[in-house]
Amino acid sequence: MHPSNFAHWSLSTARDLTLEAARDAANARGKTSTKMLPSGQLKKLLDSRSERDVLEGLRRVVTMSYRQPPSQTLPFFTHVIKNIASPSLQVKKLVYIYLLQHAEHEPDTALLSINTIQRSLTDQNPQLRALALRVMSGIRVPVISQIVSLGIKRGVGDMSPYVRKAAALAIPKCYQLDPNTEPQLLDYLSTLLGDKQFFVAGAAVAAFLEMCPNRLDLIHPHYRSLVRKLADMDEWGQLATLRLMVKYGRKCFPRRTRKIKKPLDMNSGAKHKGTKGFYEEESDSEESEEPEYEEIAVLDPDLELLLNACKLLLQSRNSAVVIAVARTYLYLGTPTYMSLAIGPLISLLRTAGDIQHVALYNIVQVCLLYPQSFVNHYTHFLVRSTDPPHIWRLKLELLTLIFPHAAPRLQSLVLAELSHFSHSGSLDPGLVKEAVRAIGRCSQTTDPKTSARCLRLLLTHIGSADAHLVAESLEVIRHLIQRDPDNHRTTVVRLAKHLDAATSPQARASIIWLVGEFAGLDPDNNIAADVLRILVKGFADEAEPAKLQIVLLAAKVYVHHLNANPPPEPAKPVEQPQPRSSLLDDFHEEGGFRDEPKSEAAPQPAPQEREKPHPIVALWDYILLLTRYDTSYDIRDRARVYKALLATPTSTQLANLLLLAPKPVPQTPSPSETRKGYVLGSASLVIGDEGGVGGLRGYEDVPAWVKEGQEPDPALRDEVRSTSTPSYDAGGVKTLSAAEKLDAAAGAAPSAAGWDGMGTSGSAWAGGKDNGVHGASAPKKEEKSLDQWLEESGEEETDSEEEETDEEEESSEYETESEEGSDEGDRLVK
Amino acid sequence: MSSIEALYIFDEHNTPLLEQTYTGRPPSGSTLLPLYLAHPTPRPSLIYLPNTNPPTLLYSIIQDQLLLLCPSSNDTEPLQILEFLHRVTDALEDFLGGPLLASRIEAHYDVVAQLLGEMVDGGVVSCTEPNALKDVVDAPNFMKSLLGGVGLPSTTPSSLTPSNAPFSLGNRPSPRLGPSGGAPAPTASPVPWRRANVRHTSNEMYVDIVETLHVTLSPSGRPLAAIANGMIAFTAKISGVPDLLLQLGCPGGIANAVSLPTFHPCVRLNRWKDRPGELSFVPPDGRFTLAGYEVDLLGSAALDAFSTTTPANAAPKLNIPATVSVQTSLGPAGSDFEVRLTLNPRFKGKSSSPLPSTTSFSGRGGLGKGLGSGAFGGSSAAGTTAAPAMDGMVIHIPLPAGVKSVVELKASRGAGEAVFQPADSRVRWAINNREIAALMANDRGTGAGVLATLRGSVVGHDEHDGHDGPDASLGLSSNTYDYDDDQTAGYQAAAASSRKEDGNGGGNGNGELKKKNKVFMPSCATVSFTVKGWLPSGVKVESLNVDQKKSKGLGAGVQPYKGVKYLCVSRKGVETRC
Repeated sequence: MHPSNFAHWSLSTARDLTLEAARDAANARGKTSTKMLPSGQLKKLLDSRSERDVLEGLRRVVTMSYRQPPSQTLPFFTHVIKNIASPSLQVKKLVYIYLLQHAEHEPDTALLSINTIQRSLTDQNPQLRALALRVMSGIRVPVISQIVSLGIKRGVGDMSPYVRKAAALAIPKCYQLDPNTEPQLLDYLSTLLGDKQFFVAGAAVAAFLEMCPNRLDLIHPHYRSLVRKLADMDEWGQLATLRLMVKYGRKCFPRRTRKIKKPLDMNSGAKHKGTKGFYEEESDSEESEEPEYEEIAVLDPDLELLLNACKLLLQSRNSAVVIAVARTYLYLGTPTYMSLAIGPLISLLRTAGDIQHVALYNIVQVCLLYPQSFVNHYTHFLVRSTDPPHIWRLKLELLTLIFPHAAPRLQSLVLAELSHFSHSGSLDPGLVKEAVRAIGRCSQTTDPKTSARCLRLLLTHIGSADAHLVAESLEVIRHLIQRDPDNHRTTVVRLAKHLDAATSPQARASIIWLVGEFAGLDPDNNIAADVLRILVKGFADEAEPAKLQIVLLAAKVYVHHLNANPPPEPAKPVEQPQPRSSLLDDFHEEGGFRDEPKSEAAPQPAPQEREKPHPIVALWDYILLLTRYDTSYDIRDRARVYKALLATPTSTQLANLLLLAPKPVPQTPSPSETRKGYVLGSASLVIGDEGGVGGLRGYEDVPAWVKEGQEPDPALRDEVRSTSTPSYDAGGVKTLSAAEKLDAAAGAAPSAAGWDGMGTSGSAWAGGKDNGVHGASAPKKEEKSLDQWLEESGEEETDSEEEETDEEEESSEYETESEEGSDEGDRLVK
Repeated sequence: MSSIEALYIFDEHNTPLLEQTYTGRPPSGSTLLPLYLAHPTPRPSLIYLPNTNPPTLLYSIIQDQLLLLCPSSNDTEPLQILEFLHRVTDALEDFLGGPLLASRIEAHYDVVAQLLGEMVDGGVVSCTEPNALKDVVDAPNFMKSLLGGVGLPSTTPSSLTPSNAPFSLGNRPSPRLGPSGGAPAPTASPVPWRRANVRHTSNEMYVDIVETLHVTLSPSGRPLAAIANGMIAFTAKISGVPDLLLQLGCPGGIANAVSLPTFHPCVRLNRWKDRPGELSFVPPDGRFTLAGYEVDLLGSAALDAFSTTTPANAAPKLNIPATVSVQTSLGPAGSDFEVRLTLNPRFKGKSSSPLPSTTSFSGRGGLGKGLGSGAFGGSSAAGTTAAPAMDGMVIHIPLPAGVKSVVELKASRGAGEAVFQPADSRVRWAINNREIAALMANDRGTGAGVLATLRGSVVGHDEHDGHDGPDASLGLSSNTYDYDDDQTAGYQAAAASSRKEDGNGGGNGNGELKKKNKVFMPSCATVSFTVKGWLPSGVKVESLNVDQKKSKGLGAGVQPYKGVKYLCVSRKGVETRC
């Protein structure tokens, strides 16, 4: 009953489905009859001159490759590869698909195709160029790494952003193929990171994270432009960029706090005033961010730029992006920013069940830090009957997390909610357990009233017919009492009263144990002995677990009695067993106990001194007698052990150790506390410690804040617009391609006016577009957003111009080709 | 660090349909599937498999009975991969037609292969926009002919045939740039989510607003939570690059009603921020989800009304088409329960007075109050805003697993049919439209709502069965001592049980039986239905206009056909506790 099953409920009714299925089944049958072609015929198809036949053959081969092991389709390798030079794009695409799947099995033959693919890199169709680049880098044959690198180099300078994107994505593939190509690849990458096109920059960031996530020095010059582009990137680019930015932010912006708020200095001059702080310290200051504390985090203007740019992404339809923004705010921002992300996080609960599940883990993680913010969204955390276990478990946890911060009314609502599930949860025993535990966690609040209320709620469960409920309730009550025994004396009394109502033996056993555990708390006014007296009356009717506990209780009561009233003289107490044993049908005479001689030795001094033993002693002896004839050997054995332990009233040390040992206080933190250390949005957060302590493979913790004074110079970020940094310059020169030259040439004339200091053509290319458009506009001019593109293009009628640019484009393309031709020549010489 | 290492698709019988490896050496699908299936249901979407080599994180989604698995050996963002898997199914559905069937994939491996190749490059998600994919991958032929019938261009964009003009520059981002711009996307249009060169013979656009109800009612009938999750689905079949403005309205102001919106990337966020209710966007071609939002039907003051002192009738008024209430532990043995369904008479629809199946309108401001739907719905006469109609009424009453059967299931006045489904351990009570209409007709005058009741009596598993349960080992499952004796001392069982039966007559035994039966009582009931032509939030489309100045490629004076449809859905969404 997974919610996603209902996703298309309304859109496609069952009838539609069956109709469709029937039709498609008919279709498929028709196809399968023709699908099974003998390989000879298939080869003939592939070798055919007719494009249609070849296409048909390729389709069949691709189909085969998905259904059968590669060994079945490998025989066609040469036949398929032959078609790589086909002018048809359709054919080419299918050949490429085949090639990618099989190249590893036949690397030598695959190499034959490289030349043709390389030629496609200079094709007129940008789609084909991109495709060729992708395929070339995707063939996992290490020999061609240099060729791939050259292909990327050409792609980086391509005019079509589509090709540049393919080039960006090819970079990590090439790096995997041959790590020696790294220096060149880094050059290409730094060029692409500054690309004007949103989706190229996004892909470049993704490539950066794949290849060299620690080379943050490459990012400095592009930081601001990347942040500005963030809102317009595609969602995957946004994800990559945000992942990068968290790291970058932690390593490049030291956390500063200030005592008194001062106007922000735009430059780093005043930065040494504040105190640096790691995140842990900072969270402390966050909590105390009340008006009276002046200490607030001071954000670097560059960091603020990022945080503000993220705001727009909060309304993304992609849940991963929302989480990524929340992560950015959590680890880089202030609580003010974080509060912006709370609503969007909640909105993730609208999504399909699988996403909801992961989102809930992240919400819990944030809620552990900022429970206050989630109080108003409580309606989303109410468990629904359709929720699967992994969802309601997290929802219950959220309810308990917000509980201490909720208004009294909401608290009663939450408690009512929890008790509903603890009662009616017979649907799912797990839910009962979890709900009762949640009540237990709720009762840990500071308010004693609420605590008492929770306890009352739990106590009502004891009489229930639902065994799960009773057992779990008692377990929780026991935890509560053990955690704070002094305040729960009355609780124990109340529990003991419930012995009348409790029917399940396990429940009775738990209560009896608890009574015994607290038998020594308040010696003058303890009910334990009385409880024992009552229980002993019905001993014979109790179930075995309860009997065991009664025996234990008796032993504890007796030990406490001995401790409280130590025998006046060493010999004195020893005589106690003697009279009472004689009183109680002289069971000592049985002589079955090992300790018999000991007690035998004791009574010598004054055997007849006391006629009537203390009632507790009498009870103890009575119990021993009863158990001696019990049907259960376990009870008999235990009784014997206790008897031996307590045989000598003077030496109760061992008995004290065994019976009255302090029990460790059970800890019941919120279940997700164990995952608290994991980074928001990571898979380790969802898996928890199951994946190994310290996270799964590839898990990366958020780096600590860089220390004040160790951060990179903020000027690195500033200056990229006016003068390129040296490293960037070098990259620009190296990766200069024909297209760039062309761009530079075209941009040179208009830019001459407003652009000085742009010596290298590489950087001229970077800025050339803007200048080409706006003439003397300042170099600071930002990239246009999509809207601006649209508006501008809308302002004028474009038909005539389109043709114009078309021609220009073509002519430029020819130039590129010739340029590339010579390039190829070079390579051949090599 | 690559995120998407491979993609495996299995059909409903778990036979492999497709294996696509993107990067690295992930475990094969045949290794992963048994491990996935070994995980107890319901399976979470992310499973960690420490015993594979390398240890693998396995992401999975199920769509239309197809199982998609995606292994990953590294810690990546889980939502990224899950979103990607959803995009894969969206794209496949877009290209092959929904619902996604194994046979469709099998028949078009070539298309699927191209799609998967375009969507991920070396383990990095590269392009998932359906429109952008349409630019680079041909839809299969039958789809082409199918789409041609509905007005999509029957020819692919010229750029796909290299013999034609190599560039389709119809929509350059900024024509003034010239070649120096370096930015033109020859195949892709300036808008990444919109196909280049869209041509339609008939221009149409449709808005569907679907709100899904999530209502929780307390046993007293007081609403605890009432949320409507809204989704605005938009279908654009407009030539060129249109720039649209959709204005939403709502009694009490849209900003107060609608919260936590999410938008398709095409929506201009600043416009919404400045003027809530206005969605300005350049749509992708075809059907897409424009926005999602959420409406708290109770309002923010709901919590204040929730207190023990306030009488039940002072609870916030909630206008829901149908609610249920459940009473349990009825009858002498406490084994009966009763479910009362209350229908709001407002939603009877008007099946007797046939309306035109589609209401068409064109021109600005043509959208208003009385505008119908039906443009999508086809032939149904009712279901307009004037006469919203209820449909597909089903009530589910989940029962504890211990319930063996339900006897004497009877619905009053023959309203609907109720059956006990042992496999799901629930009672399903379905009332068809005719019966609803009959019920509505009966109670025309009262105004208190239309009532229908269902009564049933549960029979639990007998005691010995109960002991076989997993809890037996805990020794917790017995309720009384007598009962325990049954188990331990077999020869006494007969006597004990007879004693118990004797006791049933007396008050004491009765109470005990009630207590025992209480465990078998349902704890909630859910209602599922759809209402056409009505939204719980009251959100409506005020107007939908093409901005003629900003739009391109749409001939002057062309007025696209517009249609609006409202749908309220409850998928077990109205839940009453007891």
